[in-house]
Amino acid sequence: MIQTHHLTRNFKKVRAVDGLTFAIQTGELFGLVGPDGAGKTTTLRLLAGLLDVSEGNADMLGFDLKEKSESIKPHVGYMAQQFSLYSELSVMENLQFFSELFDVKAQELAERAERLLNFAGLIEFTNRRAGNLSGGMQKKLALACTLIHEPEILLLDEPTTGVDPISRREFWNILTDLHLQGTTILVSTPYMDEADRCSRVGLMYAGKLVECDSPKAIRDKLEGEIIEIRPQRPEDWQKILSVVTSLNGVSEAQTYGESVHLLVDSGERRMTQVRHALEAENIPYRSIRIAPARMEEAFISLMRKMEA
Amino acid sequence: MSFRHIWAVTRKEYHHIVRDKSTLVLVLFTPTLVLLLMAYALTVDLKNIPLAILDLDRSQASRNFIQQITAGQDLNIYSFAANRNDINDWLVRGQVKAAVIISPGFAADLITLKGFPIQVIIDGTEPQSGNFAVEHISQRAEEFISSALTKQLQAEGIGEQSIQSLDMHVETWYNPDLKPRNALIPGLISMVLAFPSLSVALTLAHEREHGTLEQLLATPISRGELMLGKIFPYIIVGLINVIVIPLLAIAWFHISLNGSFALFFGLSAIFMFAVLSMGMVVGVFMHTQAAALALSFLVIFFPGFFLTGIFFPLASMPEEVRLESLLLPGTHYAIITRGIFLPGVGIDVLWSYAVMMFGLGITFTALAAFFFRKKLG
Repeated sequence: MIQTHHLTRNFKKVRAVDGLTFAIQTGELFGLVGPDGAGKTTTLRLLAGLLDVSEGNADMLGFDLKEKSESIKPHVGYMAQQFSLYSELSVMENLQFFSELFDVKAQELAERAERLLNFAGLIEFTNRRAGNLSGGMQKKLALACTLIHEPEILLLDEPTTGVDPISRREFWNILTDLHLQGTTILVSTPYMDEADRCSRVGLMYAGKLVECDSPKAIRDKLEGEIIEIRPQRPEDWQKILSVVTSLNGVSEAQTYGESVHLLVDSGERRMTQVRHALEAENIPYRSIRIAPARMEEAFISLMRKMEA
Repeated sequence: MSFRHIWAVTRKEYHHIVRDKSTLVLVLFTPTLVLLLMAYALTVDLKNIPLAILDLDRSQASRNFIQQITAGQDLNIYSFAANRNDINDWLVRGQVKAAVIISPGFAADLITLKGFPIQVIIDGTEPQSGNFAVEHISQRAEEFISSALTKQLQAEGIGEQSIQSLDMHVETWYNPDLKPRNALIPGLISMVLAFPSLSVALTLAHEREHGTLEQLLATPISRGELMLGKIFPYIIVGLINVIVIPLLAIAWFHISLNGSFALFFGLSAIFMFAVLSMGMVVGVFMHTQAAALALSFLVIFFPGFFLTGIFFPLASMPEEVRLESLLLPGTHYAIITRGIFLPGVGIDVLWSYAVMMFGLGITFTALAAFFFRKKLG
């Protein structure tokens, strides 16, 4: 479906995307993660035909990206990171505008618009100006406009950034539905829990794809295990951090709500050591256990390795 | 070329114009406002020019002469000077624009027909008022001299019948009163109707600045469709001006429209297409609204002002400038507006200018589509 070969894009001073080679199969929900400035937006813009390719190339649906970017556009739905619909137009007018540019027949528009607006929970706001919608609703409208021509490939650039958690969840439910209907989706996201919902995840760093695998495989690549401590008094967290980080075998300590997560080389070996240290400092805890690694820990640890 | 794509952009752009109040005001009222301002500023019928007088003869004849030149409203006596220093003083302060010095012996010279010893001084820093004063004074002086001459001849016994005046017969066509307004306003109309091209020049930069261009470029719209779709709504809104502005000229400035309004309207639509396409070319190259605005003034409005023959006759310009002026839709349109308003000519005379404008419109649109890139950055 999408196959890139050493896809590269240079800007005046930086190489934003550097020799990217990866393949996305039909029906995949592929998540692109990475820190700010890693080149996620540039990658998506290249694939959407919005930027010239500096070096390398890509094949999308059998079309050559460099030569045939205009022929690819009817098959692709691209959603920009910033809100980029027309604020003076109403919800329906925006949908109609994009449907006409994508040559959707008028009868089909009526049927699809109703379905998409229901789907996105915007049916009551059909006549509201896009500029007067909340951030989350704007994102959903943008998605609806992106879907109006039923594209085979969806390219979504951080579609949930700046959206409240409920809208985010709704948004991902929509994506999951689309995924189940067989749409190929490439989505970039700064959120690790979202990466976890993808069928495959690519980790970008400094313009390169440094890791590309299923979320589980990436989590499994985390060297070491997680010990989760739940203190009796939540306000003890700073004390806990200062006590445990000096221990042998502990490479990371992070708070998650009321609990503290330690990244250790071996859970079993370090468990007693951690307990003893806490008891020596008189810090009571409700529970201590070996917990499954999260995407975020895997991501941070991979990042640390890249930086080193 | 898909008409549906063009229509989608046209409708979207039309909603933008109508719903975004500032664009609407810019497109609808600027031409009217500029026409009013310029018509008043540029076509002032000169009168009440302040004049200083230094009468060194102090005779009945000199007093008669002074009375003759200051009759009517054209020149006003500011004050009588006592000496030349006064005149200099008033001129540098701008209190008078011209001065008349009547030398001693004026009356005596007039009787003996020896000469006409007067001197006219004008302020060269303001040639318009100065020239006006000179013209006026020489005309009156001629009358004065000829009446003095006639009296003298009569005194010598030559009867009135045998005196025949030598006169050149001048006839002014199309604008018999030679009112500057009648000639200038049709020209000004052609200039102010070009204003919507400014909005067109800004429209792509506006989309770029608001981020909407990114989503638009991801659609399969072709470049030509986008250009035409963006030009059409401004033609439609611009045509409102094509109705309002001539009405203003007729009702307010009492300019008569001697030709056909339907012809004027039709040719104006072609002009709109040409001049708005020019705005589109500017918009394609400039990526911010500020830059697009600056370039519009540089390549559309200043040339439209100076090089289209509205204020300065093209015939007096160097060859290269005249060739360049042919590339400005305003040059052809100025001829059309004047032709329809004053002599009231028809399409049989004006068709070649219409063809030129249409050709320019097609060329500019093609250039805009050619140079526009469907890429960001």
